[in-house]
Amino acid sequence: MQQNRNALKVAMVAVLTAVVVVFTLVVRIPTAKGYLNLCDVAICFIAFTFGPWSAFIAAGLGTALADLISGYAQWAPISFVVHGVEGLLIALIVRQKGNEAVSFARKLLAGLVCIATVSLGYFALSALFISTVSVAAAEIPGNIAQSGVGFVLGLGVSSAVKKAYPPVRSLAW
Amino acid sequence: MGPSPSGSTSSLAKSRVSMQKALSITNLSFTYHSYGENVCDSIFEGLSLEVEAGSKTLLLAPFDKGKTTLAKIICGVCPKYFPGTLEGNLKVFGNDLSAVEPWQLLSECTYVSQNPQEQFVANSVEEEVAFPLESLGLSQEEIKGRVEAALKHWGLDRLRTSSSQELSGGERKRVLLAVTEAIDARFWILDEAFDDLDQKWRDQLKELIEKGNKTILVLASRYLAEFDKLFDQVLLLDGKKVVSPVRKELLCRFSQLCQDDLANPLDSQVCAPPVMRQLVCTDLVAERRRMSTLEEASFKVHVPHFTLQSGELVTLVGPNGSGKSSFSRILCGLDGYLGGSIQVDGSALSGKELSKKVGYLFQNPDLQIFLPTVQDELSWSLRRRRDLKSEEIRRKVEHCADLFGLSLSDTPATMSYPLRKALQAAVYYLLERPFYILDELDSALTYHTALSIIRDLRQNGAGILLITHDKQFAKRVEQRTYSIEKGRLCAL
Amino acid sequence: MTINTFVAGKGLLYRFDPRAKLLSVLLLCIWFFLPVSLVGLYTVVGLLVLLGAINTGFSHIAKTFLSILPMLLFMVLFMPFNVRDGESLVTIGSFTLITAEGLEQAVRLAGRFIGITYACTLLFATTVMQEVMLALRAFHLPYKAGLVVTLAFTYIPFIAESFSQIAESHSLREAESEQGKRIFQRLKDLVPTLTSALVFALRSIPNLAMSLELRGFGREQKRTSYKDLSSYRHPFTHILLSCIMLVVFWALFRVR
Repeated sequence: MQQNRNALKVAMVAVLTAVVVVFTLVVRIPTAKGYLNLCDVAICFIAFTFGPWSAFIAAGLGTALADLISGYAQWAPISFVVHGVEGLLIALIVRQKGNEAVSFARKLLAGLVCIATVSLGYFALSALFISTVSVAAAEIPGNIAQSGVGFVLGLGVSSAVKKAYPPVRSLAW
Repeated sequence: MGPSPSGSTSSLAKSRVSMQKALSITNLSFTYHSYGENVCDSIFEGLSLEVEAGSKTLLLAPFDKGKTTLAKIICGVCPKYFPGTLEGNLKVFGNDLSAVEPWQLLSECTYVSQNPQEQFVANSVEEEVAFPLESLGLSQEEIKGRVEAALKHWGLDRLRTSSSQELSGGERKRVLLAVTEAIDARFWILDEAFDDLDQKWRDQLKELIEKGNKTILVLASRYLAEFDKLFDQVLLLDGKKVVSPVRKELLCRFSQLCQDDLANPLDSQVCAPPVMRQLVCTDLVAERRRMSTLEEASFKVHVPHFTLQSGELVTLVGPNGSGKSSFSRILCGLDGYLGGSIQVDGSALSGKELSKKVGYLFQNPDLQIFLPTVQDELSWSLRRRRDLKSEEIRRKVEHCADLFGLSLSDTPATMSYPLRKALQAAVYYLLERPFYILDELDSALTYHTALSIIRDLRQNGAGILLITHDKQFAKRVEQRTYSIEKGRLCAL
Repeated sequence: MTINTFVAGKGLLYRFDPRAKLLSVLLLCIWFFLPVSLVGLYTVVGLLVLLGAINTGFSHIAKTFLSILPMLLFMVLFMPFNVRDGESLVTIGSFTLITAEGLEQAVRLAGRFIGITYACTLLFATTVMQEVMLALRAFHLPYKAGLVVTLAFTYIPFIAESFSQIAESHSLREAESEQGKRIFQRLKDLVPTLTSALVFALRSIPNLAMSLELRGFGREQKRTSYKDLSSYRHPFTHILLSCIMLVVFWALFRVR
């Protein structure tokens, strides 16, 4: 009877999107790209704790909305694609049934994919649509640092949240 | 598959009888799903309850005994969103709850939650009222008409475009009541509906309950004066069942359940602080934090004189919005001040130094929970100090958990509200601050529990500033009182 | 934390149909990528700024430009690395610092960036979020997607407010240690606050889902709408106007 989980999915994606927006806009260090922030922490957290679809939509929509709100409109579609794919890929790599811990090799792979997606994605798309190859290339080190740190923190926060709030396991989508 | 003629008339008769009952619960048992090692105790066992259509019922239950769980079960959202095992037979206007989805009961049953914030689904007040009407598929004129009427009736016209963040507690309650009125369902479940409302709105709600022909079930954990002569049926949630004793006995038993008859825990406490410290504020002037963008006049917080000593218990009373939180935040070092001084033992302090001396317990205990077990939470701050060995830490943690009635292996995030409040107090107890500020401790706790927490915090001789807007509660702890209004603090 | 992008005002743009506004912003963004002359590009940018000044006031323009300034500076900084061959304009020794083509490219990219960003900012400054959502629904955005965005906007201030309270609460709890820590330690210390904040946010998910269903989300009957865009009486005229304007710009300024 209670198979319809639509409301739960909508609620989940909405709240997670809001979480990504808050994490993106709360800590801001102005640089060329716009600002250095904690969005990757939130995205990796969502990817580890929830499923691929939630990660894709929350990450993409959240970062796009954050860009629109803070006035960097031209980055919104690029952020949507790059971070959406980032969330989706990480979630797919670490997804598994049951409660066993994910192997270190998979975590490493997920970390590399995360860093690669963000830095290469932003590089390619900003070089094409916003500025030149050289400007886009200058952003790569910053993106690598941000996504790397974000991944590690996201991993730590995810395991802490799962332990502190066990009901989260039933929310995966 | 048609029933035989005699069978059909009897089933018709039965259905006519059951149609008259708004709510019919038989033999309900419910236990929450347990996540940790501790197995949860059952909330209800063999509970039965019947509410006739058009009647007004009051169900009294002390805090944390399953009142809200029962309301959520009746609406059909528990155990769907709050996992647990449910047994028993429930019918709302003849609909079997195990066979319907919550949205199918939209025009039958409306639930007003104790905590309004959790029920908001829209960006502004008028959209909130319109949302369920859109779900009902009403025409646009109809929706507009109902929204206007509801907003006007509850005095929300000025606030129609405000978001829930900008509203005070009382205003949020009124929005929920406006939504309920607009939906116009047959059966209203009001959880602590009179809380947070000013007298004017309480009277209006009382009138609404009296005059209408709706079936109303009010859930409350304190017997208010407004309840006299308002209800056809007064029930008590006692021992996981619903009972209906005679009125006099009922109130007696209720106050027993709330532990009101126990001696005031503070009476027997002799407080002899090892070190006498003193907190003094003189001529303090500060900018008040803006609470919402709709405020007309902003005022400054002005404190001519305020003292607090070790072992003392001081209350600060004032209406909502008078600057109580602003003052507390300044007192514990979170916010700065423009003029005057705050001195502890003679030396003026501010910022981080002040935070080390004055602990501030936020009204919401969930702001600090992040570890898997109670033991972890309590040991965390202690571990960060270099001067304690792990054996000593363990001893302190065990002693503290005993004192506050906590179980070391419980998961904080799934504990009940009073236990989380106790955990918050326990964490601060271990921080060994000389002074504590308790913000609205008595909301959602029985007086006895709140007073016990205060007693436990005073164990080490700390000085306590208690903030409350409940004068009854203040009376029980009175030593010295300050009152604050529009930012001006004065001693009573 | 304010997420309100709307600036109150009474100008022409406020009365322009939101659907037409949405369409014109989209067309403008495409137009900026077409091969148009530099003069034409900056003329359109100038017109946008003028339009903005009339409708939202100068302080809003100043704020917008201030926030995109870092990016513009960065682009200018990297000018030497643009188009390397071509006629050189400025040389230091034997190193060509700036070429004519490089300069043109930098100026064009800056102009495009300013144009697109400002057009979107203007859209959100003159249109209430609710009407933006209604306009998107008119372009067949599914209801659930619109609901997700609206709910996200409702929850952003709530989560941001709780985040700052949680950060304060944690800082009160550990007023002990603090001074100059390595960045690794600092990040580790951030974990408790982030965990609390996330647990806090996650707890509201079942409540929100419950409230949605209690308010009728999920019923098979079609939903009606409380507000719509009928107060804008000339949608087709406005849309036509936008399309014509952009065709005109294209015709006038394209590089032959």
